[in-house]
Amino acid sequence: MPDAVLGVLAAAAPATTAILLAAMGGLVNRQGGIVNIGLEPMMLVGAFTAVVVSAQSGNPFLGVLAATFAGALLGLLFSWSITRLGANEIVAGLGLNLLVLGFFGYLLPTAFKIEGTLLPAGLVGLPKVEIPVVNQIPGLGPILSGHDILTYLSWLSVPLVSVFLYRTPLGIELRATGANEEAARAAGVPTLRLRDFSTVIAGAFSGLAGAQLSLGVVTLFNKQMTGGRGFIALAAFYFGDARPALTALGAVIFGVFEAAGFRLGSSGVPSQLVQMLPYLVVVISLTLVAVRRELRVRERARAAAA
Amino acid sequence: MSQVTAETGIPVAGQETIAPSRGLQLLRPLQLAGPFVVALIVGAIVLVASGRDAVGTYWLLLQQSLGGPTEIANTLVAATPVLLTGLATAIAFRSGMFNVGVEGSLYVGAFAAAWAGFTLTRLPGPLLILVAVVLAGLAGAVWALIPGILRAQWRVDEVVTTLMLNYVAILLTSWLVNYFFLAPDIANSMSPLIASHAQLARLLPRSQLTIAFLLALVVTFLYAYLFNRATIGYQLRMTGLNPRFARAVGINLGRAIIVAFLLSGLIGGIAGGLQILGVNYRFIDHFSPGYGFTGIAVALLGRGHPAGILLAALFFGALSNGGAMIQLFSDIPLDLINILQGVVMIFAVIELSRLPFVRRWLQRA
Repeated sequence: MPDAVLGVLAAAAPATTAILLAAMGGLVNRQGGIVNIGLEPMMLVGAFTAVVVSAQSGNPFLGVLAATFAGALLGLLFSWSITRLGANEIVAGLGLNLLVLGFFGYLLPTAFKIEGTLLPAGLVGLPKVEIPVVNQIPGLGPILSGHDILTYLSWLSVPLVSVFLYRTPLGIELRATGANEEAARAAGVPTLRLRDFSTVIAGAFSGLAGAQLSLGVVTLFNKQMTGGRGFIALAAFYFGDARPALTALGAVIFGVFEAAGFRLGSSGVPSQLVQMLPYLVVVISLTLVAVRRELRVRERARAAAA
Repeated sequence: MSQVTAETGIPVAGQETIAPSRGLQLLRPLQLAGPFVVALIVGAIVLVASGRDAVGTYWLLLQQSLGGPTEIANTLVAATPVLLTGLATAIAFRSGMFNVGVEGSLYVGAFAAAWAGFTLTRLPGPLLILVAVVLAGLAGAVWALIPGILRAQWRVDEVVTTLMLNYVAILLTSWLVNYFFLAPDIANSMSPLIASHAQLARLLPRSQLTIAFLLALVVTFLYAYLFNRATIGYQLRMTGLNPRFARAVGINLGRAIIVAFLLSGLIGGIAGGLQILGVNYRFIDHFSPGYGFTGIAVALLGRGHPAGILLAALFFGALSNGGAMIQLFSDIPLDLINILQGVVMIFAVIELSRLPFVRRWLQRA
């Protein structure tokens, strides 16, 4: 049994990465006042771009870079539809999900003549990082060592996002925009451009997350490869109340769920029930937050009446 | 987090209250037909870019969806679930509730109907069908009641809870069918077939057209009656348009919210149940190609109006029926339909009048 637990934890580290990255992007977007349910299609575009560019150039890092740009670009277009053309963010996000999924479903058989998996010649995945000494530690070694480089670098996003949001003028203006757009605009903050910027960040992070899936976890592309991780990322930053450290914790928990789901499926525990957990956790944690807030409001109302 | 809905507003709930300017009046028909037109243009670009004949494909699509009695019947079959999910979504939207969880109600409703169909087989035909439909509606309503109560009691943001509960419903029914109700003779994740007397009778040969479509039409009339004549419909509409005003005139907001979710879930559940009784005849793991999400597009395109919802549902029915046929006859993937649907959704909520060149054109007009 301990072996199984260690196995799950070793698989959880790379499984967390894509969720963590997309969740950090979604968090910045949320703080800027946009609920982004288009993280999933942005990840998918990133995953595809990474594979194509890596295969063409033979350099996986160029693939990662291109994926980040592709995600950012899609984020910008998505943002314009909301900030400049008044689209409802939820409907536009659902539409983007359908559009991008349909696009790849159409593209792969017509342009690449394949039904399922795209594996172009010359495709190079991200190298695995073996940490000397650490990888010799029994048990702990496979958990900490031997993952793709993005799995390690992704953790930098937590302090970076945290410092950006709470310590830089731009980040503070962004949060002001999200908290009260009209007041922020009255104070001279370029709210539209900031909201666009936050969606571009969300797109870039999602593109990066997609690249980690298609060049880090596996080395291929197929249209189902994001498998709902964009929505798990949404779950993570709602769980974390759009705060970086708590959101990262949520991403880790959901990463462990994902890794455990695979293993438990073969050992008789229904994988559906494990996969359900992130969604249930979000409903429950949203409820707890709301109940606490309402109780406080009612308390205050009662105090004012007395 | 509840400011999410307050900030964004729901496109269907807010009908304009100020008389539109002449320019905007010119734009009105454009705005209603716009999403379809843009989608067809995008589709044409995709077709041409992949070396296909766009005009020929659209002509084939038209023939295969409306070219004869069988084709029309199959379009109506495909329109039935999205007409119902469209109405279910519109009820919630017009009440100011951003329920994007009709897909979840559809799944639990479908499962309930299938369960009745293969378990309560000793009931006589019409009664079994009635019981199955009622159970489907109840299951859908109870499912929608969860986010409804959370919203009414504690103001928990319904957008996120309903979105998340969709996945819970899909996984829950997948678990049920795979672990408890697997058909003995089949390896795939399917329940046993429902009893033959639970299957809705076909109205036409070579088509799965059943009374399900007629029932969906009845629900459309009830929807129109609800919002145009019934007191509760008036209360729902007021709650959607202006909750503070609604409260001031004595409408119980909590009750209105619960009713909106119950009705929305009820119709979503029935949509799933009829799909089992009339088309699939068994519950299949992950069976829905997103009927609930298409319902959102249908509700938005129909602008909450019953006739508009019916037209939008027929449009999507024709697309998915024609698209399936095209995939059979040519090598054009059915995913083209998803592209069109995604574009329609995005352009249904984009305000074209804000585009710079449209604004210039309006000023000249």
